[in-house]
Amino acid sequence: MASKSSLLKVILLGDGGVGKSSLMNRYVTNKFDTHLFHTIGVEFLNKDLEVDGHMVTMQIWDTAGQERFRSLRTPFYRGSDCCLLTFSVDDSQSFHNLGNWKKEFIYYADVKEPESFPFVVLGNKVDVTERQVSSEEAKQWCLENGNYSYYETSAKDSTNVASAFEEAVRRVLAMEERGEHLIPTDTVNLHRKPRSGASCC
Amino acid sequence: MTVGYYCHWVLFEHEGVFVHSSTDAVEDQDLLISGYLRVLDKDGETVVEYKPLEDTVDPSNMLCACKDSSSVVEWTQCPSDRSHHVVDQQQQSCETEWDMVNTVSFKRKPYANGEGTSYHTHEKNCWAFSFTAADLRTVTVKTEGWTHLIFCLKDDTTLPTIHFHQGGCKEFMDCLQRCVHLTECPRDKTTFLVSCHNKTLSQSFENLLDDSNYGLVHKLKKDPYVATLGGFSKVTNYIFDAFRGPELEQREMPAEEEVAADILGEIIPGLEINQLEEPGFEVITRVDLGSRPEVQRGEPLSLADWLKYQDKEGRVRKVPELKERIFKGGLCHVVRREAWKFLLGYYTWNSTSEERKSLQRRKTDEYFRMKLQWKSVSEEQERRNSRLRDYKSLIEKDVNRTDRTNKFYEGLENPGLILLHDILMTYCMYDFDLGYVQGMSDLLSPILYVMENEVDAFWCFVNFMDEMHENFEEKMQGMRTQLIQLSTLLRLLDLAFWNYLEAQDSGYLYFCFRWLLIRFKRELHFQDVLRLWEVMWTGLPCQNFHLLVCCAILDSEKQKIMDRHYGFNEILKHINELSMKLDIEEILHKSEAICLQIKNCKDLPCSVSEILGLKAACDKSTLELSDYGILTPPLHTSGELVSNGHGQLSETSSNGYKVAFIS
Ligand SMILES: Nc1nc2c(ncn2[C@@H]2O[C@H](COP(=O)(O)OP(=O)(O)OP(=O)(O)O)[C@@H](O)[C@H]2O)c(=O)[nH]1
Ligand SMILES: [Mg+2]
Repeated sequence: MASKSSLLKVILLGDGGVGKSSLMNRYVTNKFDTHLFHTIGVEFLNKDLEVDGHMVTMQIWDTAGQERFRSLRTPFYRGSDCCLLTFSVDDSQSFHNLGNWKKEFIYYADVKEPESFPFVVLGNKVDVTERQVSSEEAKQWCLENGNYSYYETSAKDSTNVASAFEEAVRRVLAMEERGEHLIPTDTVNLHRKPRSGASCC
Repeated sequence: MTVGYYCHWVLFEHEGVFVHSSTDAVEDQDLLISGYLRVLDKDGETVVEYKPLEDTVDPSNMLCACKDSSSVVEWTQCPSDRSHHVVDQQQQSCETEWDMVNTVSFKRKPYANGEGTSYHTHEKNCWAFSFTAADLRTVTVKTEGWTHLIFCLKDDTTLPTIHFHQGGCKEFMDCLQRCVHLTECPRDKTTFLVSCHNKTLSQSFENLLDDSNYGLVHKLKKDPYVATLGGFSKVTNYIFDAFRGPELEQREMPAEEEVAADILGEIIPGLEINQLEEPGFEVITRVDLGSRPEVQRGEPLSLADWLKYQDKEGRVRKVPELKERIFKGGLCHVVRREAWKFLLGYYTWNSTSEERKSLQRRKTDEYFRMKLQWKSVSEEQERRNSRLRDYKSLIEKDVNRTDRTNKFYEGLENPGLILLHDILMTYCMYDFDLGYVQGMSDLLSPILYVMENEVDAFWCFVNFMDEMHENFEEKMQGMRTQLIQLSTLLRLLDLAFWNYLEAQDSGYLYFCFRWLLIRFKRELHFQDVLRLWEVMWTGLPCQNFHLLVCCAILDSEKQKIMDRHYGFNEILKHINELSMKLDIEEILHKSEAICLQIKNCKDLPCSVSEILGLKAACDKSTLELSDYGILTPPLHTSGELVSNGHGQLSETSSNGYKVAFIS
């Protein structure tokens, strides 16, 4: 069908302060800035990479996590190829909110088939010793919610950051290979439920 | 069945629209046929179509809808409101006042099982209909628990009544209004006569307001200037695009078109820009602004000069002159701590030093009383107070991420950080409803830096927050209003650029969000923020001067943006990356010059004068709808416009744009 777009839109979602911006910066610029501001509005960075022989440009979108800013961030969900649900392993609340983030994403991104949409879950700040969320809990959640890949990352010491983003790309490519994802990304289609039959009466 | 690909604009689509198959039978026995109603744009022609769904109605679904009353929203006509809007009606005879009520009064006995299944697809297709809007004579809207519509065509055909059991009627009517002209039938308030208005114009409206939430009626009512001008400029976009040649078509055309439409979709309904007075119905094609005058800026006010403005008791004299000087040059840093208290309204200008001392004593008490409130909350109490807990955790997170490179806040355990935290916590006690919202730490930080005093900083912050409050409220009304106002100004100042932004789906200026939320705090170097803020706080040279600051910055970037053909994403990125690269003096120069330029303009649109507070009373002479005719429509036919648009769209691989490929 259509030629595959090499531009992948990936969006980082999760509570304020879980480290979304830090992860993005770590991945794209390989820096960890402890002086980073909290995010206001919407930002994105591009990163070119090769995954399994595919050249892709990943466009990583980062938004503000606070509830209040929902109306600003949600419009940018549309067209995402992958969603990185992020929590912080030292903050159980951020873990418990994953489900809400997923829901918000599916709703506003207008995902056609939520069951097969590629989500990747990131448990960030694994360098911190006082954990509130165990790996087992997180893995369990991922299993129950759609068998998502789970990565324990640290933007601070760089653990697993690249692997997590690459997994996002792999997931998208796998989707496209199965052909299921072609309609939402490669062509334009507004319908929640596409129907056939144009002529009538 | 498949006849290749057709490109249609779907202007409206709603599922859960029903036809009652046996209208003559007892109500309980008629069969509900569920279908979807669409308004399509087929090569410039507006087509309304109704099609039954493949599956028969699932009664269990309907019962569900019944139970969940909150999710079923019906719209009823509210004629009593009508008298209020006589003026509007004259301007937009198509307008209907709709009031939203929660009704769940539709009760249908689920029909017998066999009945549903025996119903063939073939038979159901006979309920499908479709007609072009030009063939429509009247629409009748009736509400009896739910809303139903009856279409009557010019050839006297009356189509099956369609029932909106699951809402959507208002949205449909809104959409229809964008395509055709609806006039209330004099004899029957529920019936609207249909006439087609200028094709090109309606086309432009559709594009402007193609989000079904967008509510043209509302928009026109609230800000006719924005609505009409926006609509017209959309027309010019196409001309513009046509000139731009093919390279434009290859560029990325992102999905986010709806984006901002969504943001604003929420914006418009509640929006009240001109709360006091409805502006006249203006149609402005292009206002000649004249040249932009040169302006001179001055030196920062020194301490010696500052003191000259005070009398023996410490009252500040010649305030207008003083403000003018501060506006022109700002303040030397030593003056700031004192002067900001006046500028922010913590001190009144004509208070004596004595009065200020006693005020400070009172305010200190008051502050610590509030501080004690959160300080004395035990862990147990906190556990039961989720809002306080949430505020606290947010504040802690954000204080650690605010101006950490500034000496005043850098390092660990810096007292500046503790003060920042404590003041924000106390502010939560002062205004628990608002509490803490991200961005507030940015607003406090410079104030605390200047005051170097917890209590003074708090009260100055309170005053600043009074001004900024709306930006942070639940609905972010302030942000919505500002974005619209900015859009209005930009259109006046630079229609071509605004058109460009519109064409890139960026006309909503969402990329100015951070600028407006925290008044350029993140865009300028810290010292420049101090300068900008004190200049702004003088209230000179006009109201909402900060919006002109936005215009000034955009004015400096527009050439780059247009020359490089930046699209939606690139514009956002470009603007985000201006942060810390802006020159404050240049910006202030330009903003003031723009202000003078606007003030010199004789036939300034009302909405602009109101935003900037330039004229006390605005000439309210209104133009009739027919005055649209002033505009010469572009030579394109609307069909060309559409296919042009589609050509672009079908080439892009980006996501979910507002086009459907129907096969
Ligand atoms: N120890 C540790 N700290 C981290 C890590 N990642 C981020 N942080 C810190 O956590 C805080 C929040 O990080 P951000 O990247 O700003 O979080 P965010 O998710 O972007 O937050 P919002 O912009 O408010 O939505 C910052 O102080 C970071 O320095 C990590 O991997 N380990
Ligand atoms: Mg962030």
